[in-house]
Formats: sequence, structure tokens, C-alpha cells
Amino acid sequence: MLFDAFLELMDIWVLTAAVVGIVSGIIIGAIPGLGPTMAIALLIPVTFSMEPIPAIILLLGVYQGAIFGGSISAVLLNVPGTPSSAATAVDGFAMARRGEGGRALRIALYSSVFGNVFSCIVLIALAEPLARFALDFGPAEMTMLMLFALLVITLFGGGSRLNALIMVLVGICAGIVGLDPISGTPRFTFGSFAFENGFQLIPVLIGLFAVSEVLLQVFEREPVATDAEMPELQSSAVRLVELWRMRATLLLSSVIGTFVGILPGIGSTVPAFMSYNLARSRSLESETFGKGAPEGVAAPEAANNAVTGGALVPTLALGIPGDAVTAVILGAFMLHGLAPGPFLFRDHGLEVYAIFEALLLSSIPTVILGLLFFRVAIHVTRIKPKHLLPAITILAIFGAFSVNNNLFDVWVMLGAGVFGFMFQRGGFPLPPLLIGLILGLPFEQSLRQALLTSGGSFEIFVHSPITVGLLVLIVISVAISAFLALRTSRNA
Amino acid sequence: MTVTTNPGGAFRPGFRTLTCLVLLAGSLAGLYLLDRQIEVFGFGAQGPDARTLPRIVLWVLTAALLARLAVSWRTPDVYAGPPRRVLRVLIVIATTITALWLMPRFGFFPGAVVAGISVTLSLGERRPLLVVGVPLILAAAVFLGGRNGLNIPLP
Repeated sequence: MLFDAFLELMDIWVLTAAVVGIVSGIIIGAIPGLGPTMAIALLIPVTFSMEPIPAIILLLGVYQGAIFGGSISAVLLNVPGTPSSAATAVDGFAMARRGEGGRALRIALYSSVFGNVFSCIVLIALAEPLARFALDFGPAEMTMLMLFALLVITLFGGGSRLNALIMVLVGICAGIVGLDPISGTPRFTFGSFAFENGFQLIPVLIGLFAVSEVLLQVFEREPVATDAEMPELQSSAVRLVELWRMRATLLLSSVIGTFVGILPGIGSTVPAFMSYNLARSRSLESETFGKGAPEGVAAPEAANNAVTGGALVPTLALGIPGDAVTAVILGAFMLHGLAPGPFLFRDHGLEVYAIFEALLLSSIPTVILGLLFFRVAIHVTRIKPKHLLPAITILAIFGAFSVNNNLFDVWVMLGAGVFGFMFQRGGFPLPPLLIGLILGLPFEQSLRQALLTSGGSFEIFVHSPITVGLLVLIVISVAISAFLALRTSRNA
Repeated sequence: MTVTTNPGGAFRPGFRTLTCLVLLAGSLAGLYLLDRQIEVFGFGAQGPDARTLPRIVLWVLTAALLARLAVSWRTPDVYAGPPRRVLRVLIVIATTITALWLMPRFGFFPGAVVAGISVTLSLGERRPLLVVGVPLILAAAVFLGGRNGLNIPLP
């Protein structure tokens, strides 16, 4: 299977897709305010006419490239291109100010690649066995699993738990619109045929992440890419021995990134800061952190790139997205006929392994293109939002229309954009909404199927060892969350 | 996002309260319309029907929003900002709605140009060449690329 999958990659279009994806990702990631989520959501329509393997490789290339690209503006401008690069900016910008910007970017690049390779190996090792295990899951097990995922994002997604709960519920409510999954009855369709298909994922994603960003920038109208003087970028190199000295930091950060990435809804910002703090506490020169310590750049970069593979484990094996970006990728998989979940590996094993191998092998072009393009990307950070955002608006309209070739989806996108703007301004997080939207309907379907099987008895949820295990995990999660909340309120 | 608290200290509703109120109105309307919007055909099956989960979710959402409003009452809200900022956003939304409304009649290209120009102007660009030129070129590129390159039947 692995060799056959490798042969699938021996295609000029696959290589072209990987290169285009990585370069686009680096450039888009370098522009403050444009994260990988928005970039992938806007690029999905471009892949409609492509074969599934190059299409997904292009989008994953954007993801990988954008995470590294985010570190460029973080290091050189102290403006993180993506939220996960905020930890990189602390020491990266300090290095740039003392003339080591090039070195900081190279460390960021090599660490990113290390984290990515590590997480890809974990992805290959874990995803297929997990999917095979999940093949035994019935409706009761799937209900408990999805309940656990929804609970984790509410309790540990960061920020206010109440806000996260509200967003999860709003997402589930949005998913209710359309036909009932069991009886086929229209729900909240207001007699409109267009509503019967429900809200399509891609227009909602484009609205939430692209249109809302346009509206936010119109509201704030402050230049995100500053005209501040950029530190001079001197030629520099990073020797292998320097990276070897950081091996423990790179490995630990990659482990943190990968395994935190597997948990739904945490994203890449939390592991980046966790790794940074761990590297600082382990360092013999902890006083240099914050003043330009190379390990302060390596740790968050390895961690936030390792999240890529980690977050793809539950996304592909169980159909449960790890964060907003993987939710978008999940949408892309579905559009290309590769429905994520336990059956993905059984029905499309060749394609999935080809994508995994491409992710692993794309580390080589990432290094080459990263070294070639970070000087170009520096200029990109100077693009003003007023020249960039009209392009996003037009691409958003086009992208939403092209999903089903109808204007209803464009209206849905606009509505999602307006709500996304309100939620973001109001301090409500978007990832829980997205996960609620994706998991709401399958959760209801599994729950009702389980109860139909059991004749309405809830005992079905404590009959199998898997459901009991998941129930225990749910109880532990609630207990940990309550303990953390209690400790925080005592410290306050 | 910069979260600025309300100047002056007194409670004044900001974005968080506004969002909660909009969602609360939506959830209450959902509860009110639930029975009319979801028909249930009983086939003797036990357990939840098509209305059960929506009803539970809407009730929990209503409760969570009321809790949020109660908690927000004691904490500073996210400052809504000067009215001109909100007005800018409303203008962009209104122009985009108009552009989308006119799209079936006039096509994707003019609609996209109008939406692009509105965003450019709202972001403070005043040079005529850039205000018109950038959206025009972008819309043309997307229109031609989408129609001829990706075979998407744009209106």
C-alpha cells in the first residue's frame, strides 16, 4: 500500500500542487491577518477541477507553508502572521533587532520542518489503527465520542467556557437547518427548497474566516502590516550542530504540538506557548529567553507545526476536526469524495497514504522554498489591507458561488461573515461554532439511532466498554476543568 | 482583536451584549417557531424525534445566553466604538447585499466590482485609479479564470 501510494505521487501535477501550495502558504501566512484557515477556505474552489490527491496536497501545502510564513512577520515586524506565531515573536523579534533576523527565520524554518516530520510520522502510525478501531463503533460509541469532542472544545478551547458553550450550541443550531437526518422532515426551512440542503460548510467557512476578517479590518481600519522600520536582514547560516544542541527542545515541543493537536479545539497557539514555557524552564540560560534566545524561536515553531499532523489524526480517522484549519481541510476532503471517518482508510487507503507521504516528503520543498521565498515574503508583509481585502471579498463571493453554482450559498457566506464579525468583536471564539456545526448533525443522528436500537433506553450508553471508557473520559475532563476553574478563581 | 472597555465606567451595551441579544432573539424565535417549522410523523418509534434535539439545544442556548448577559452586566463590555466605524461596516454590508441582489440581473463581474470598490473605499483608499482599478482587474481575473479556467458557470 505504502509503495503504491508513493507511486501515486510520481506525477508532475502532484509536485506542482505541493510547490504552489507551499509557496502560496508562505506568502499568505506572512501577511498579518491572513491565516491558513482563510487561505484554505478561499482556495478550496480552485481545487474543484483537480484530482483529489493533488487538490488535498495543495491545500495541506498551504497549511504547512502558512504556519511557517506566520513566523516571518512575527520575527521581522513583531506582528504575528498567525496567532500561533505570537510565541515566536517574543525571541524572534529580539534576534532580528540585533541583526540576527535571517538566523531566526532559518531556525524557525528548520524547527517547523522538524515538527512537521515528527507529527507526520505519528499521523501515519496512529491514524489507520485508530480508524480500524473505530470501525467497531456503533451509534452509541459515536454519540459518546462526539459528545466528548464537543465537551473538550467547550472546556479546554481557551477563553471563557460559557462563550465556547454558546458558540458550540450556535453551531449545532445552524446544523439543524435542513432535512432531519432520520425522518427526512424539513426543519426550519421556512418552506424554501434552498434551505433543505442546510448550510453548506464551505460558504459558512468562507464567511466566518474571510468575510468577517474583511469587516473587522473595515471596522478597525488600522494598518496591520506596519510601515515600521524593518530590521536589516543579514546573510547568516544555522549550523547542524546548533540544531543538534536543541534536539531535546525540538523533540519535546514536537511531542507537545502533536499530542495537544490531537485534542479537539485546542489549536496551535496553546502548544506553541506551552513549548516555549517548557523550553525556558529547562534551559540553563533561561534569562536569555525574551531577549533573543534561539531556543525561544525553535520551541514554538516546532510545536505549532507539529499540530498539523496531530490535528489530522482525529480529523481523518474519526471525522472529528482538531481545530478550525482541520475543519476546513475536512470540508475539502468531503468535497473531493474522501469522507473522513473510520471508512476513509478502508475505502480510500491509497489516496490517504499518498497524502500522508506527500505531507512527509513536502518537508524537502518546504526547506528549499522557505529559504528561497522568505526574502520575497518580507515584501509581502508590506501589502496594505486596503489593496488586499478587495481581492479577498471578490474571491469569497466567487468561492461561495462555485460550491454549488448558486447564489444562495453566497447569501449564506455573507450571513456567516456578518455573524463572524459580531462574534469576533464580542469576544466569542469561532472554532467551537465550526466544530458544533460539523458534529451537531452526526451527533443527533448517532444519538437517535442508538436510542431507536435500544427502544428508547439510555442504558445503551453504558453497555459497551468503549462507551464506558468515553464516559469516564468525559467525567475526568469535567473534573479537570472544574479543578482548573477553581484554582484560577482562588489565585485571582 | 483589541478589546477596549467602555470609557466612563458606567454600563453601556457593547458588542458582547449586542451579540447575546441577537442570539437570544434568534433562540427565542426558534423555540416559538419550533412546532410549526418541524413536523413530526409518529411511526410508533420510541425515543427522541426530529424536534427533541433542536428543543433541548435552543433551551440550553437561551439559558447560556441569559447567564452570559447576567455575568456581562457586572463586567465591562467590548466597547462598540465610534458610530462611524459601525457605519463603515454597515455600508460595506449594504453594498454587498445590493451587489448580490443585482448579480442575477447584471452578472458576477459588475457585482464583484461594486463589492470590491465598496471595501476599498471603506478602507480609506481615495486614489481613483486604485479605487476602481484594483477591484476591476481582480474581478476580471477571477471572472475569466473561473469561467474559462475552472468552467464555473458564473452569472
